[in-house]
Amino acid sequence: MNDATITSQGALAATLFFPLAGALLVGLLRGRPAAAAPVGTATGLLGFVASLSLLAVAPPWAQGQDTASIDVGWIGLFGSRLHLGWDGITAPLVILTSLLGMLVCAYVWFTDDTGAADPSGADPTPAGRGHAPPPGLLVCLLLTQAGAVGTFLARDLFVFFVGFEAVLIPMWVIVSRWGSDLRTRDRVTSAHGAATRFVLYTMLGSAVMLLGLILLAARAGTTDLVELAAVGPSLDRTTQVIAAVLLTVGLGVKVPVWPVHSWLPGAHTTAPTVGSVLLAGVLLKLGSYGLVRLVAGLVPDGLAAIAVPLGILGAVGVIWGALVCLVESDLKRLVAFSSVAHMGFVVVGVASGTPEGIQGALFVGIAHGVITSLMFWVVGMLKHRLHTADLATLAPGLRDRAPRLGWLLALSFIAGVGLPGLAGFWGEVLAIMGAWRGTDFLGGTGVWIAAVCAIGTALAAAYLFRVLYLIWHGPAEDPGTAGDPATNTAPGTGAAADGDGGPTRVSLAKGATAVQAARADARQAAAVPDVSGVELAVTAPLVVATFALGVLPWLLLSVSGPAVRLIGGLG
Amino acid sequence: MTPTVQAVDWLAIGPVLVMTAALLAVLLVQAVAPRAGRLLDVLGLAGIAGAGAFMVALVGGPVRQTFCATAGLCSYEVSRITIGLQAAVLLAAVVCVFVALGDLDPRQRVEHHALLLSAVIGALVLAGARDLLTILIGLEVASLPVVGLVALRRDRVTSEAAVKLLLVSVVSFGLSLLGTALLYTATGSVHLAGLSGSPGLGSSAGLLGAAFLVGGIGYKVAALPFALWTPDVYAGSPLPVVVFLTTVSKAAGLAALAAIVVLGMPALTNGWLTVVVAVTMTVGNLVALTQQEAVRLIAWSTIAHGGWLLLPLTVSGAGPQLIGAATTYLLAYVAATLVVLTVVILLARHHEAGARHLLSDYAGLVRTEPVAGVLLLLGLLSLAGLPPGVAGLIAKIAALGPVVGQGVWWLAAVAAVNIAIGLVYYARWAKAVIAAPTPATPTWRVTFPEGAGLSFAAAALVAFSVLPGLMV
Repeated sequence: MNDATITSQGALAATLFFPLAGALLVGLLRGRPAAAAPVGTATGLLGFVASLSLLAVAPPWAQGQDTASIDVGWIGLFGSRLHLGWDGITAPLVILTSLLGMLVCAYVWFTDDTGAADPSGADPTPAGRGHAPPPGLLVCLLLTQAGAVGTFLARDLFVFFVGFEAVLIPMWVIVSRWGSDLRTRDRVTSAHGAATRFVLYTMLGSAVMLLGLILLAARAGTTDLVELAAVGPSLDRTTQVIAAVLLTVGLGVKVPVWPVHSWLPGAHTTAPTVGSVLLAGVLLKLGSYGLVRLVAGLVPDGLAAIAVPLGILGAVGVIWGALVCLVESDLKRLVAFSSVAHMGFVVVGVASGTPEGIQGALFVGIAHGVITSLMFWVVGMLKHRLHTADLATLAPGLRDRAPRLGWLLALSFIAGVGLPGLAGFWGEVLAIMGAWRGTDFLGGTGVWIAAVCAIGTALAAAYLFRVLYLIWHGPAEDPGTAGDPATNTAPGTGAAADGDGGPTRVSLAKGATAVQAARADARQAAAVPDVSGVELAVTAPLVVATFALGVLPWLLLSVSGPAVRLIGGLG
Repeated sequence: MTPTVQAVDWLAIGPVLVMTAALLAVLLVQAVAPRAGRLLDVLGLAGIAGAGAFMVALVGGPVRQTFCATAGLCSYEVSRITIGLQAAVLLAAVVCVFVALGDLDPRQRVEHHALLLSAVIGALVLAGARDLLTILIGLEVASLPVVGLVALRRDRVTSEAAVKLLLVSVVSFGLSLLGTALLYTATGSVHLAGLSGSPGLGSSAGLLGAAFLVGGIGYKVAALPFALWTPDVYAGSPLPVVVFLTTVSKAAGLAALAAIVVLGMPALTNGWLTVVVAVTMTVGNLVALTQQEAVRLIAWSTIAHGGWLLLPLTVSGAGPQLIGAATTYLLAYVAATLVVLTVVILLARHHEAGARHLLSDYAGLVRTEPVAGVLLLLGLLSLAGLPPGVAGLIAKIAALGPVVGQGVWWLAAVAAVNIAIGLVYYARWAKAVIAAPTPATPTWRVTFPEGAGLSFAAAALVAFSVLPGLMV
């Protein structure tokens, strides 16, 4: 063992160790809440630095195999060991996770957006809103980060599973404890209910996935992912198909694949801002990464057998998410459903079984992690300021009322459209290309799936520009005259005709003067403080990444390329 | 049959002998010095520690057999699984002694310790017993003293629970005895090794005997449909005895059933057992869902865990591996249950609702009593099988392994669904623990025995979670 190996192993261990140690330290410091956020942010920063240093000491673009690894005895069942590795598929995800982990800690340190009670609601959250964020929140954030990093680094089936499950409880606590109930006109989504639904869905999926993992371990006689990558593809077809189905069902809940996505909107919407960011940026990636690493990587014949239905479900997800976004009236829910649409591309890319498709799936994963985190952050800031994310109440003219916030919003949504030059473009193009060419796996269906996905991108443009039109664009004086259903319930607009507009809105329609007065009041109340320096600093890395990945896609593609070519003998 | 007893392997039966010596010492000291007091506690714990020391000496050694009639037909065997089962029993025994000391009437100390030690001896014997008669005697030694433990407080509630337990024990013993007799008639052997190869096992007498025997022991492990006594008995017993019932008694029953089913009549009972396991875990979990009282929830959830314990025994395969998988599950289950129940006892002693307290009485425990609260969360998550309770997760993988390996998919699917159902009620409890405290949420000063018991259980659970290899 030479020095370079030791250095790379040290950095690898540090990537996982720092968030874990941070969580432990913050937990032990619970008597001193003021120290929690600095300690959490510092360990998050150390973890991020460690992940970056791995790029230098163990460049993953050099070869497809792991360029850094740790392998020590651990669980013992089926010969399972604590095997961690670092390659081109793992690296971008670990860096993204460590970055977001550090940023969310910094965000709760410097702002007071720690998931407060919903002030409009009658739900007095007992969290004392001092400046210091609750230590428990930081512990959960760091544990989520550690669990995700562990999953991405794992080179053992059961270590993967432990990491995969380890994020559940912290995230459940974040949403359930610090989330805020969502009240819309026709329903109330309680944070605790949404959190529990998230955990139960995922747990049921994980239990099914666990059966697949055990099947692989029992049939292949090893749990080591590196060995399995060689042994798995040569397993008999029946085993591969059963394993692929079990794994895909389990991972599909997390991705999420339509129709098992229904946990997502509630959890994303009721979660505090940092919770939504981690859910979208990190947790969904556990699923997409698992699809690539476990399903495509270990049981390619099984994937081939289920590729057509899987691809169709992915395409349905793309369309479904987009259609819901066209009518959704809550901005946070809209972003959540746009996640469903984006992750549909991941599913299509994986199902295509082509290197382009897999690359696309990984690219969409990273891009979605960057862009949707940014979206959730901006929407979270809006919601924190205005205590609502209702498109009608938010009212237009954000670019005038809070220019910097407006531009952040515009950038994230335009990136979400998949405009060339921004991060969202390349992954979706590659995924569609993969489906188009993936005749081995998808047969004749591939072309149709590609076509449907292309329509999905057009729909994405429609719904994202709808948002820009409704709240970013337009003079601040003239709230919404658009023909969109959501705007019908905007204060003072068409309220008389709107039967379910609620008593306050009906009373507003007494006369033009009353309407004018109400508009003035609404604008007064809706005065939006612009983005603070801290908020800008927290979101800046994501903005930079959005541009960088859009302009220089090879940054990512060349890192993951060598490893992708090794997957399931695709190359 | 008249076995010619050859040389006895004293090291193999060392743990049992040390415990017996401790039991005699407790009785003797009490007779000589009636006011011995704490000395009795020390003697009891020393006996458990001595047995533990013997086990450490045995770990990693070769398989030892002793009390052999002829070559291969031995009544007692020490292998990895024996050591695993005995480790679970001893771990539970230590914690049981500690938590019992908290509210034990000093005048009953000797009775309590003597009863507890003899039940533990029975459980230790069962871990290594390899013939039907030894198993039957072990079962009785392990269960009858528990009736005394339940009744020790001598009030109406506990007496009623004790009578129920006694009836169950007697019926179960009768069934088992009948089954053993039938099996002996059919096969001419009482040794498990002799039984397994015998053609008479498939005869009607053999099948009937197997049914009676397995049914009789089914009571002990609280497998449905023989489990309906548990919630009443648990709810009526002093909480420290509940700890004993859910851990040591469960381990004893599992040891007996695993040996008989896997080593004595391989593959014969798979069909029934599969159904019993599916029903046990599902019904146990579903009823636990509806419980609001902590102790009753535990009672029903232990029934479900009983199903998990038997899960690896439902398939045919290499005996030691199957029992080993069940033992792994047992170790995680015992450690987690000990942690949870110790906190339950602490809360019951400090909460005005007492032993009848509800899940909502845990509101905010993680803030009023951070250490106990966090440990309770760890224990609950271990029972649910979710990290950070890695021990419970690994245990579930171990228990599912043989079933998935053999491709019994419907049973695997039932188990998978049960993981999710179990999580619902553990999460409900956990939610209370992390919620905002209420004025009624207690804080407490932990006495030395309580603290020692909790630390011991927590150390085991943390060790199993950090180094799951210890359980495998």
